[in-house]
Amino acid sequence: MRNEPKERIALDAMKAWKITAHLVTVIAILFAIAALVIAYYVEFIPYWIGIILLVASIILWVVSAWIIPKLRWRRWRYEIFDQEIYIQHGILIVTRTIVPMLRVQHVDTKQGPILKKYGLSTLQISTAATTHEIPALLEEEASDLRDQISELARVEQDDV
Amino acid sequence: MSNPKRLHPAAMIFSVIHSIKTSIFSLLPIVILAIGEAKWIYVVIAAGALVTIIIISSILSWLRYTYQLEEDQIRIEQGVLIRKKRTISKHRIQSIDLSQNIIHRIFGLTKVQIETAGNDHKIDATLHAVTMDEGKMVHDQLKYNQVPKDIEVDTNEHPEDEKKHPSRKITPKALIIAGSTSGSFGVILGLIGLGFSEIESIIPDRYYNHATDWVFSQAIQILILLAIVALIILWLLGILVTLIQYWDFTITRYEKELFITRGLLEKKQSTIPLKRIQAVGVVETIIHQPLGLAKIYVDIASGEMGSDSEMHTVLFPLIRKSEVQNFLRELLPEYEYNIDQWISLPKRALPYYLFRLAILPLIVTIVFYFTLTDWAYIPLIVTILACLLAYFQYKTIGYEIKGEHLFIRNRDLSKDTIIVKHRRLQAMKKKQHFIQKKQNLASLDTAILNKFLGRHFIVRDLEQEDVDKISDWYSYQKNRSNI
Repeated sequence: MRNEPKERIALDAMKAWKITAHLVTVIAILFAIAALVIAYYVEFIPYWIGIILLVASIILWVVSAWIIPKLRWRRWRYEIFDQEIYIQHGILIVTRTIVPMLRVQHVDTKQGPILKKYGLSTLQISTAATTHEIPALLEEEASDLRDQISELARVEQDDV
Repeated sequence: MSNPKRLHPAAMIFSVIHSIKTSIFSLLPIVILAIGEAKWIYVVIAAGALVTIIIISSILSWLRYTYQLEEDQIRIEQGVLIRKKRTISKHRIQSIDLSQNIIHRIFGLTKVQIETAGNDHKIDATLHAVTMDEGKMVHDQLKYNQVPKDIEVDTNEHPEDEKKHPSRKITPKALIIAGSTSGSFGVILGLIGLGFSEIESIIPDRYYNHATDWVFSQAIQILILLAIVALIILWLLGILVTLIQYWDFTITRYEKELFITRGLLEKKQSTIPLKRIQAVGVVETIIHQPLGLAKIYVDIASGEMGSDSEMHTVLFPLIRKSEVQNFLRELLPEYEYNIDQWISLPKRALPYYLFRLAILPLIVTIVFYFTLTDWAYIPLIVTILACLLAYFQYKTIGYEIKGEHLFIRNRDLSKDTIIVKHRRLQAMKKKQHFIQKKQNLASLDTAILNKFLGRHFIVRDLEQEDVDKISDWYSYQKNRSNI
């Protein structure tokens, strides 16, 4: 039985996920309000649709902004070995992934506005057939890892 | 070294046909609009002009298209307004295939497709029409190693060659069986379904004995008869298509590649470099399995995108299950297998399989039971079938590791045995949800490259130890720091 990977992702990841959750909730609530407004003007559309939407978005808000980020962060781990990358994630379904360096085709870092605010960025590792992500690493760490992986992956590759 | 050469003039015919075919599709809506407004005279003029333009441009592009064989490369120049020159080095060429459709065969010509290792299929080259001799000459000149020098379209011309290179050919009888059983599975299902619906249409007759209803049901029966006839015709067509596609299917093993010729109307050659094979699979559909038959295929990296919507490349359309091992030993010893004992799923996994497949029909059955009680038996039958399938999945699924090979036996509906080499697996995942964790089960998800995309092999609810064992086998990090 193999142990968990050692490294954790940045603590600020939780904050970033929280903000994303807030934004999603705002959109969901806007939809709910729209449904209520329509129900006010259009006779045959009942109010309860809007009310259900509103309740659902508030539940979504609580779960996605306060519960999920913590659990998710706690589970997220990774470790970079000489020969392979080892990733663990998932709250209900725990997934452990092995990506051999030999199979890595390219490595990207990417950063959206929310991650940028916290100085984080996401590392994306592509093989010929699959893509893997390590989200929310510190900017420097991510770019170091990117260079490190591309260095390690720079081995003579036979056909794919 | 040779001088620049043009294609055979018949290439113009191909280019005209091709352009007309593509333009018809894009212009059809406009044409229909114009005819709708009774302006067909303009349509005729426009069509005439278009055809003239297409013919002129085909002639021009034929005139401007030249190819030239040099010592270890082929140089192609083309383009009317924009001149393009392309040089393909012999060493970069993966395969050269000759194929002939009906027009080619009338003129004694062949199409030459040159495929390179690049992922961008646009850099591959195609000579649309050259004479047969010329095609063979190009083929022999550019072949990276001259070993399979005497590849002929018809391998039978060289009996002494076949001894050196193992080869297999399909019999017409096997093809007819393949055609009548494999592709037409849906049709057979449809026939069974119709059988059911006929029974249903007979049952209500007892309750409604009015004359009008009788006439009405007569009509339905005639309709059903027609539908059955139509299905049988479809089925025969299916057989015909298989015959045309795979007629004379011959596979030959050369040192570094597999070579396939097939086709009745259009003779097709294809070359599969061994380097590109990502996995070998043996499929037994639920019709084939009881008959002890199977189909062998390979997954290859890249290949002609778009021209062939098939996910896999068929190595042999139909073969006895007992012959598969011999076939692989002869033609593809790299993937030979001989497994008596598969490591299968633990008993604890069965409920998961039952749940996954049967839960939806079960819910539908319950809903039907309370609403449309008379019809509840239909979802009930589906539920029972789903349970059966789940049981067979549970029975079938298994794996085995031998040296650098991983063997996976899987089933959606058809039984699929996959052989894949360690270095072809792109990544490996172990997935475990919290209930699985309690029961020490886990799922495995691994992927290979197939036509620029990934193909995932997912084995659910294996013993956790087994998944860990496979992960350890897969891991490149043999001396891990954290053990």
